[in-house]
Amino acid sequence: MKFVALFFLLGGFFFTTVAAIGVIRFPDFYTRLHASGKGDTLGVAMSIIGLAIYNGFNLISLKLMFIVVFIFLANPIGTHVLSRAAYRSGIKPWVRKGE
Amino acid sequence: MSVNNGTSRRAELIQFVVLSLALFVFWFILSGRTDAKHIIIGIVTAIVTSWICRPVLRLKSTTNRGEVIAAYNLPYIKLIPYIFWLLWEVVKANIDVALLVLNPKMPIEPLMVKFKKSMSNPVAHALLANSITLTPGTITVDVQDGVYTIHALTKSAALSLAPEKGEGEMPTRVGKLFNEK
Repeated sequence: MKFVALFFLLGGFFFTTVAAIGVIRFPDFYTRLHASGKGDTLGVAMSIIGLAIYNGFNLISLKLMFIVVFIFLANPIGTHVLSRAAYRSGIKPWVRKGE
Repeated sequence: MSVNNGTSRRAELIQFVVLSLALFVFWFILSGRTDAKHIIIGIVTAIVTSWICRPVLRLKSTTNRGEVIAAYNLPYIKLIPYIFWLLWEVVKANIDVALLVLNPKMPIEPLMVKFKKSMSNPVAHALLANSITLTPGTITVDVQDGVYTIHALTKSAALSLAPEKGEGEMPTRVGKLFNEK
């Protein structure tokens, strides 16, 4: 059981790190939003699932699973609101030049 | 007319009771205490909350003006396989984006695409927009009258949602879920 928890925690660590690297490497607002908004969703969710498995089945892990569900519902909404605000205030998306 | 009104009022009452019970169970799990004080506070809070939420749960149809759709009228059983499919898609797409980020050449090709999906249930629109944003590589930027503006990280991500011909897999699945064409 501990190895399954370890797998989930390491997976969460990996995806969160990739999200952070993506925020630094990507060229403009929208693409950075791709990295931060979604790498985090899976990364944080996997970390919390790993903690819940490590904890065993009790009330605390049930509460942790509620947190996962709410992250999955709320994180896309935050990403969408940010991107819509940017779109409506006229930020042009970056495109690859020289096609 | 009166019969119709009566049944909708009854459905609303049932919904009120179910929502109160669900909120109370949620309270009970979160508080984890069984003494009278906490249970009474929980019951009162659940009832007041679902009473306040009553008007929010009556949604206006997006295609047919004047028609009212209840937010709680969801295909719950059909939602379960959809959620598992979506989770698998999220994991697959996240690995794709991780490979893009770690690739030294960073072969991204961002573009905006638009596609139209007319569904009358606002909950279906919310579910589709949420699913699109949840899958890495695509963000729902704007939804207006059933026209989705999507920002995609790569061309293949854009094409999987809005192919040249026909319809992407995700809009089709959501449409089937809510029995809309």
